[in-house]
Amino acid sequence: MDELKVMDDQSRLESLNQPKEYDTTQYIVIQLGEEQYGIDIKYIYNIVRMQKITRVPKVAGYIKGVINLRGEVIPIISLRMKMDLDADEITKKTRIIILKLDQHDSVGVLVDEVKEVVTLDEEHIEKITYDKDEKAKILSGVGKTDGRLISLLDIHAVLAENEV
Amino acid sequence: MDTSQYLEIFLDETKEHLQNLNTQILDLEQDPENMDTINEIFRAAHSLKGMAGTMGFKRLQALTHDMENVFSEVRNGTIKVQPEMIDILFQCLDALEEYVGNIQQTSDEGTNDNEDIIKALNVIMNGEAKAEAPKADAPKAEVKAESAEGAKWSEITITDTEQNLIKKAYEEEFKVYGITVYVEESCVLKAARAFLVFKALEKHGEIIASNPTTQDIEDEKFELTFSMIFVSKSTRDEIIAAVKSVSEIHAALCDEYQPAAADEAEEAEVKEESKPEAPVSGAAKAVPAAQPKQDKKAVSKPIVNRTVRVDIEKLDVLMNLVSELIIAKNSLVAATGNASEGSENNSAVNEQIEYLESVTTNLHESVMKVRMVPIESIVNKFPRMIRDLSKSLGKKMELYMSGEDTELDRTVVDEIGDPLMHMLRNSADHGLEPNDVRVKNGKPEVGSIFLDAYQDGNNVVIEVRDDGGGINTEAVKNKAIERGTLTQEQADAMSEKEIIDLLFLPSFSTAKKVTDVSGRGVGLDVVKSKIESLSGEVEVKTKLGEGTTFIVRLPLTLAIIQALMVVIGDEKYAIALNSIQTIEAVMPEDIKLVQNKEVIHLRGTVIPIVRLNQILEIESKVAETDEMTVIIVKKGDQQAGLVVDELMGQQEIVIKSLGKFIKVPKIISGATILGDGEVALIIDANTLI
Repeated sequence: MDELKVMDDQSRLESLNQPKEYDTTQYIVIQLGEEQYGIDIKYIYNIVRMQKITRVPKVAGYIKGVINLRGEVIPIISLRMKMDLDADEITKKTRIIILKLDQHDSVGVLVDEVKEVVTLDEEHIEKITYDKDEKAKILSGVGKTDGRLISLLDIHAVLAENEV
Repeated sequence: MDTSQYLEIFLDETKEHLQNLNTQILDLEQDPENMDTINEIFRAAHSLKGMAGTMGFKRLQALTHDMENVFSEVRNGTIKVQPEMIDILFQCLDALEEYVGNIQQTSDEGTNDNEDIIKALNVIMNGEAKAEAPKADAPKAEVKAESAEGAKWSEITITDTEQNLIKKAYEEEFKVYGITVYVEESCVLKAARAFLVFKALEKHGEIIASNPTTQDIEDEKFELTFSMIFVSKSTRDEIIAAVKSVSEIHAALCDEYQPAAADEAEEAEVKEESKPEAPVSGAAKAVPAAQPKQDKKAVSKPIVNRTVRVDIEKLDVLMNLVSELIIAKNSLVAATGNASEGSENNSAVNEQIEYLESVTTNLHESVMKVRMVPIESIVNKFPRMIRDLSKSLGKKMELYMSGEDTELDRTVVDEIGDPLMHMLRNSADHGLEPNDVRVKNGKPEVGSIFLDAYQDGNNVVIEVRDDGGGINTEAVKNKAIERGTLTQEQADAMSEKEIIDLLFLPSFSTAKKVTDVSGRGVGLDVVKSKIESLSGEVEVKTKLGEGTTFIVRLPLTLAIIQALMVVIGDEKYAIALNSIQTIEAVMPEDIKLVQNKEVIHLRGTVIPIVRLNQILEIESKVAETDEMTVIIVKKGDQQAGLVVDELMGQQEIVIKSLGKFIKVPKIISGATILGDGEVALIIDANTLI
């Protein structure tokens, strides 16, 4: 990770005034193509550098294969292909984010770059109301921070679609 | 049925249940309303009852039955847990422990009916928990122990030669005495005292036999008593005096040795011969508790406990560690392979690595063996069950079993018992026709059920087969329509196999009447889900009028296997070694086409060719005209030839799951981690045949 931005003063004050901590959520911001997305930090188990991925034949295209993470075999999916973007381009910045969800074993997602950690409180998260966009299905909302907009990924939706 | 071989397991498990009951009832005392505890107690009592029943211990069964009843009422909320009740329950546990103690020492539960406890339990059940706590019967036990005294010499085993000596002694007007000597508890040099006793006795006559043996006595391998048979012309009092002349002797019992007792001793000896591992000194120890006066037949069959029960989780941890070790070892092998070859130490390092390899292989095998048990322990309960079913259903039937020595992982064996039992009950109840119908259909009157187990490659197959009426698919169809599971159109469109699969749906039973054996429809769906949870599969074959076969296929959950590593394109794959028969070099022109499929002729057999690169969607690096490497694999009596680019060699691999997240194609049975940390997939050759 390049840098971790601490929450800005404004939101810090706010969080002091509001002792209810569950109102704020930390997200890891990733770069995917031109856009930035946020992944809820509570699902993230680990972030590792790109390594050799073993292809698994005859599976859906977005499943890149499996890697060995300290003796555990973990499947890797491509977020780009999942979201109908161009195929992944492996660079020095490419990272694998290992997600751990309750009902699943660990899964790794391939992302172009990991940017930073942001803290958003609920006031700064807008639910998405339009549903025309296919992409919206895997988003849980849009977060505003420093005047930027970050699409927040609904990890359950991203992974659930696989099982179809 | 001879249940003696399960006695050890029974005792282990019973003790575990009793321990559990003790803890749970203690918990209950603290928290009388806790449903979890009550349920747990009910379950434990139920299991105990079941086990006692199977082993034929009627009294143990009766007592646990009443205990279970009480908890059934508590569970239903009809009665409340009260302090008096807890007291009685603990007495009940003590009584159960006494039974188990008796069983351990004599293989018999004893004759104490514990009527007062049973009565008290019934009183609780009837809601009058006022009943006075019955007295525990500890004093009785003491009486038993005392009555055992003095009879000890009668337990001495007599061989034929000794028997002849005794006869001869009688003929020559010698007297034959049985002597039991009690050494004082404080005595330090017991062997020395015994030696002096022998010395003293030798003046009067001759010792024919002793228990323990003279050798054991010399080695001090006895508790506080030893007995002997003694031939002498002296009187009884003279002999006692002679023995007592030795200091630190607490008491000496002596009486004329009865030929009748000799017979019995012989009987005891016969029994002991059938259990040769039972040490004689052990027999001597067990006998005093054997209530010789009440129950002479229960003579000594001591249980020597040589097993250690280990939590399977601990074995899992051990297994995982072994896996890690093997991966580390593989990395080491890879690393030294890459190291500069000119290094002087290289041969020494290689030697050590080879040694490490053999150690890890042996270690793995040992851990695997610890986990593997023959299915015998499960299936041997079945003949008895079928006999009972035969009676309760009023059908004549016979169970034939084969392959009881087939081994499976302990966890699988533990789980597979219930499904198998269900399938057998199913065969007995639904499969076999009533006797008169069988005769009418020209079949032998007695129905046959077969249970065959065998290993097939990486699987263990268990078949439950009957020669009954087969599955009437029409009846199944009608039933499904009647129940609204299917519409008429759906039913008409279904294949026979699909219809049979309906049987595995929850709450589906075609039996017209519900018996206590089966027919409540909780059967086959449970069987199926259980087997699938063990990553096995179940298949049904049936022919109307001829019978039904349930085929259960279970993986040999081997976490570590020997595999052949192969290269296809630039990918590495592993193929389990035990499915591989041979490896052949084949020229492309030797491949023939039969029905548009590629085959080769190999030593008189035609073997279909599978090009792995096509199936796995890889570009092969071997030119089409070059010689091909073909791996001949087998499944049952079928063969196939798998074409690969290159062989890497044999390796011990640790099987890792690919997880539930990816829907892995059937051809891939798992993954493994290679020495360099890379993941390689494992090809299940069985799916290619």
